[in-house]
Amino acid sequence: MSTEMIDPTVQPPVGPDTTAERIPTKQLSKWTLYTRRFMRNKPAVAGVIIFILMAIYSVVVPLLTPYKLDDQDFLNLSTGPSPEHWFGTNAGGNDNWTLTAVGLQRSLMIALTVSVGVTALSAIVGTAAAYFRGRVEQITLIIIHFLMVVPTFLILALVSNDAGGDWRVISLAMIFVSWFFPARVIWTLALSLREREYIDAARYMGVSGMRIVLRHLVPNIGSLLVINFTLGVVGAVMTETGLSFIGFGVKLPDVSLGSLIGYGAASVTSAPWLFYFPALALTLLTVSMALVADGLRDALDPTSAAGGRA
Amino acid sequence: MIKYLVRRTLGWLLMIVVATNVTYFLAWSFLDPHSNYVGRKPPMSPEQIENLLRPRNLDASVPLMDRWWTWFSGIITRWDWGMSPTGGSVNEQVAFRMWISAELVLGATIIATLLGIWIGVYTASRQYRLGDRIWQGVSIVTMNVNIIVAGLAVVILAINFNNWVGTRVFYVTGSSTEGVTGFFPVIIDALQHLILPTIALVIIGYAQYHFLQRTLLLDNISADYVRTARAKGLTKQQAVRRHALRTSLIPVATQVAFSIPGIFTGAILTETIFAWQGMGRYFLTTINGNDVHGVVAVAAFGAVLTAVGALLADIAVVVLDPRVRVS
Repeated sequence: MSTEMIDPTVQPPVGPDTTAERIPTKQLSKWTLYTRRFMRNKPAVAGVIIFILMAIYSVVVPLLTPYKLDDQDFLNLSTGPSPEHWFGTNAGGNDNWTLTAVGLQRSLMIALTVSVGVTALSAIVGTAAAYFRGRVEQITLIIIHFLMVVPTFLILALVSNDAGGDWRVISLAMIFVSWFFPARVIWTLALSLREREYIDAARYMGVSGMRIVLRHLVPNIGSLLVINFTLGVVGAVMTETGLSFIGFGVKLPDVSLGSLIGYGAASVTSAPWLFYFPALALTLLTVSMALVADGLRDALDPTSAAGGRA
Repeated sequence: MIKYLVRRTLGWLLMIVVATNVTYFLAWSFLDPHSNYVGRKPPMSPEQIENLLRPRNLDASVPLMDRWWTWFSGIITRWDWGMSPTGGSVNEQVAFRMWISAELVLGATIIATLLGIWIGVYTASRQYRLGDRIWQGVSIVTMNVNIIVAGLAVVILAINFNNWVGTRVFYVTGSSTEGVTGFFPVIIDALQHLILPTIALVIIGYAQYHFLQRTLLLDNISADYVRTARAKGLTKQQAVRRHALRTSLIPVATQVAFSIPGIFTGAILTETIFAWQGMGRYFLTTINGNDVHGVVAVAAFGAVLTAVGALLADIAVVVLDPRVRVS
């Protein structure tokens, strides 16, 4: 074939340039992608900021405040917010600004402990039940279904009332009564995960059962666990405040948001600030965590179209 | 269909029996009626306490299995739920308290479900428009407000409203006023008491149905059969109501059943806030008074409420889902 056959003036047909879009951006790392998606959700960002501020308040204020928890100011008994006592004082002259910070700290500690415990326990039990199949799966499911019928709030009240208000025992009891519901959800998810090729591959390599569960199954539901953790904090705060409010949870000399609201409720018409400030702290805490969970769900979901590309 | 419902009822009955018996043993491992008499002046001898408690089947020196059998056979043969340490009958207490709690819990559940479904339908047909965004924001806040905060906020608002109007429109304590007679006065009085705790429970309860209904309906609105219904000539409203809503109501119905224990827990707190003498208050007094039989009765009541909710959900599913009717 001679070169004259090709007419240099005739160009090949030009379609839309498909390569141009792909070239300019360099590949995003997983975390950049997650962060970018999360930052797009403005309420979730606000939630993070509020949560961090609350955490700082609960840690720093008890260290810096001029009033200790049991300091009584006899010149200010049950007075409203003032320059000396920003959140007012209660009938014993205790500073409400300090009380709220300490109560928030205690509520947060319980909530974080419980949520970590519940997330870990439910993830391991749920995936292990699905992976080992047979007898293990049957027995686990029977236990889970049984616990769903038993009145858990009553058990919680009995145990924590018996513990005399020790927050560590209360946390343990709360983990015990709340792990099974997420465990069942995780079990249904793990049913399809256990059929994946990489699980078979690991098994044929001779990896032990528990190791497959911990190294291959649990990390694959990681995004669900992160969301479960944040929602677990909300749930644990709610349960703990409920218990402390009716007097079965944290007891004096220890205080939590629930017990503070309980004391505030008694004087809600005469000294409303004792109710307003702990209630505000509680609401900010739960709502901010719920917004964070919402943002995380959008950010971590691979099929998410959370308003925009990437 | 009848057979299906009977089978479900029997299953729930068995669950209630097991849960109640487990609670009995649990209650005994944490509560001891003897401690009610410790520190009395003049001090009581152990024999005196035992003589007092033995006729009430609350004496811990009797073997646990014997106590359990006396209690359990009493319920089976005479429907007698036992006695409190002070000698009162649990049956009498529960008989009037259960209706107080039931009207609160079931009323709040029904209103919250209907409101949630309605808002879910409203927002799903206006996805990402202003109405949807506003309800989204409102619901995420109300869902995460604690029932205690919601209850006390309602109390404060009601007190202010009463002061502003000058008469007592809403009552913030108790479930009824003493000495009200006549059909309509009683109903109006009950409503004046009932409305505030119900509002508190509905505020925190409706949002979960809103979110669930919205998600489900959005999944169904774009389905082929809804487009077919539109192509037949139905308006969008009709297509959603008759076709999309019906399928998406089924998971909501099952959700209702599983949320009833939560509402009962919420009712324990609302009854404390509003000073109702219902099962929630009874729960607190029985635990504080080491009243084993009373505690177990409360647990049984909670289990029955769950079962009633689950059965209502089952009936709703049967009505909505033709596949269940066939099998």
